Amino acid sequence: MNPVLVLGGGPAGLSAAAELASLGAPALLVEKENYLGGNPKRWHYSLLAPDLKPAEEVLGELLRKVEGNPRVETRLETTVTQVEPAGKGFRVSLRTRETLETREVGACILATGFDHFDSRRKYEYGYGRYPDVLDFKELEGMIHDDRILRPSDGAVPKRIAWILCVGSRDLQVGNTWCCRMGCAVSIKQAVEIRQKHPEIDAYVYYMDIRTYGLWEDLYWKSMQQYGVKFIRGRIGQITMAEGGKRLVATGEDTILSRPTEVPFDMIVLASGMEPGHGTQEAAKLFHLPVGPEGFLTPKVADINPVDSGIPGLYLAGAATGPKAIPDSVTEGMGAALRAFQYARD
Amino acid sequence: MPIVEPSLVTVKREEKLELDGIDVSGDWNTFLEPRVHTDLDLKIVDWVRSQPQGETISRCWQCGTCTAGCCMHTDYGLEEFNPRYFIYLAQIGYEEELRKYAQTIWRCVSCNKCVERCPKGVKVEEVVHTIGTYLEVSGGAPESPADRFDRAYTENLLARGVLDEAALFRTYERLEGRKTPARDLLRLGFTMLLSGRLHTGPFAHRTRGWRRMRPVLTKILEEEERARRARVEAPASRARGGSPGRAP
Ligand code: SF4
Ligand code: SF4
Ligand code: SF4
Repeated sequence: MNPVLVLGGGPAGLSAAAELASLGAPALLVEKENYLGGNPKRWHYSLLAPDLKPAEEVLGELLRKVEGNPRVETRLETTVTQVEPAGKGFRVSLRTRETLETREVGACILATGFDHFDSRRKYEYGYGRYPDVLDFKELEGMIHDDRILRPSDGAVPKRIAWILCVGSRDLQVGNTWCCRMGCAVSIKQAVEIRQKHPEIDAYVYYMDIRTYGLWEDLYWKSMQQYGVKFIRGRIGQITMAEGGKRLVATGEDTILSRPTEVPFDMIVLASGMEPGHGTQEAAKLFHLPVGPEGFLTPKVADINPVDSGIPGLYLAGAATGPKAIPDSVTEGMGAALRAFQYARD
Repeated sequence: MPIVEPSLVTVKREEKLELDGIDVSGDWNTFLEPRVHTDLDLKIVDWVRSQPQGETISRCWQCGTCTAGCCMHTDYGLEEFNPRYFIYLAQIGYEEELRKYAQTIWRCVSCNKCVERCPKGVKVEEVVHTIGTYLEVSGGAPESPADRFDRAYTENLLARGVLDEAALFRTYERLEGRKTPARDLLRLGFTMLLSGRLHTGPFAHRTRGWRRMRPVLTKILEEEERARRARVEAPASRARGGSPGRAP
C-alpha cells in the first residue's frame, strides 16, 4: 500500500501519523520546519489549559509514537510543490532546499495549522515598539523558563495586564472569528504566574470570557484561588507614562462607566489564530475552497469534519478553524482512520 | 438616619399593623423610591436602525473601545458623555435614562476616533448623532442654556443675514439672567470696536438682498424641521432582529 501523506507536523499531523502507524499503514509526514511539534513547540508553550499539564508531556507522547517508528517516514524542511491525481491517490512533488522528488501516495491529510496573529497590526497597542508589551506566546516561553522579567530593564514586574481578543473578533483587522483559546490560555498564564509569584498582581481586560465547556473551572479557580482580577472593557490604546518607564492601558471600565488609565509593568496580548501560511498554500495547491475567514472548509462540517469533499483528501486540526490541542489530536485520529479506509483497497 | 427630603419618599402610615404577633405600627416606606428599572421600549432602537446613519447600532456589543478613546469622555473629561452607554440605553430601550443625556449627547466633536477603533464596525459617531436626533425631535427634553443660545443665534442671524454679536451677547445675558461686570463689558466692547465688530442696533451691517432671501431660508428651515419630526413620528416599519449584514 502506498503511504498516506500527512502534511504538517503539529499536534494534528503527529496524531494522524501515529494513528496510521498503529493501524499498520505507512505514513509520510512532511513538515516545512526543521522540527516536529508545530506552534506549541515553536513558541515553547508551557502548561496546556485546562489541566495545566506540561506541553512537553502532551507533545512528547505524540512525538514518541512517531519518531523512530518504522512505519512513519518523516521529512523535515520539506514542502509539497505540486499535486496531481494518480490512480485513486495522488502524485506529489516534495521539495527540500536541494532536492526535488516525486512520490505516489494513497491519500492526503492536510494538517497545516494556524499562525498566531501578528500583533504589530494592532498598532494602537504598540507591540514591537514598546518592549514591555508582549505577545502571550512570548510569555509562554518566559513562564516555561520561570523568568518573568520585564524585557526593558530586567526588573520583576509588580502588575501585569492581559488584553484578550487581540486580532480576533475585530473588524478593523478583518478577523471576525473567536480564537477559542485566548481566554483560557491567558487565564492559565495568570494562574501560573500567581501560583509561583503571588506578589505579582494580575488583571485581565475582557469583553466576554469564553472558557467554554470544562475550561470554565480554570476561570473560577483563577478568581477564587489565585486572585486574578477581571475588568470588563476593551483597551483602546497603550501609551507610555513616567518618562517612558511604564505602560498605561487606556480603556473604559464598562461596569464603572468610567475611563481607566492604569499603569502596568507588562501588558500581554492574547493574539488570535489566523489560517496558517501552510494552510493558504495547501488550499491553492489542492484547489480547495476556503471559507470567508480563510480557513479550509470541510464538506459537511457537522457530520464529517475531516472530509474535504475531494476523494482521498482529509483535513485535521486548526487548518479548518481555531482549535485546542485535544480537538486537533482527535481530528488527526479521525482523518487517519478515513485515509486508511480510503487508501487500503 | 431618617430621610428628610419629602420628594424622595412616599410615607405610608400604618396605624395598626401586626406581623407574626409583633406590633410594627408606624411610618412605613420611609425608604428611597425604588431604583429598579421596569420599562423597556424598543421604539428608539428601531428608529435608529431604520436611519441610514444609525443602522450599525445593532452591531454594538458594549466593549467600550469607543468610549476609551473618545475625545469628549477621556481627553476632555466629560464623564457623562459616554457613547457606549448611549448606545446601550438605546439598544435596550431605556428611554427615560437616555433622556437625561439629551443635551450632553450633542457634545460629540465628530473626531471619529471611535469609528476608527470600533472592532465591530459600528459607525459610532453617526449612531450617537442619530440617537441625539431622536431625542431632540421626539421632544420632551427641557430646554437647556445651549438650546436657548442656539435659538437666539439663529434668530439673530436671520434678522439681517449677518451676525450682530453685541445684540447676541445682550440677548444671552437676558435669557440666562446674567450680568457681566462693567469692567469686563468695557474691555469686551473696546476689543470689539477695534476689530470692527461693534456694528450693532441701527448701525448693524446687513446682507444685500436679505429681504428677499430671508423668507426662502426660513421656509427651507421650517421644511427641514417638519421632515425631521415626521421621520421620528412614523418610524420605518422595519422588522426587529437580524443584522444589517456583514461589514463591507
Ligand atoms: S477565546 Fe477569548 S480571547 Fe480568544 S477571541 Fe474568543 S473571547 Fe477573545
Ligand atoms: S466622534 Fe464623538 S463619540 Fe466619537 S470619539 Fe469623537 S467625540 Fe467621541
Ligand atoms: S467600540 Fe463599537 S462595539 Fe465597542 S462599545 Fe463602542 S460602538 Fe459598541
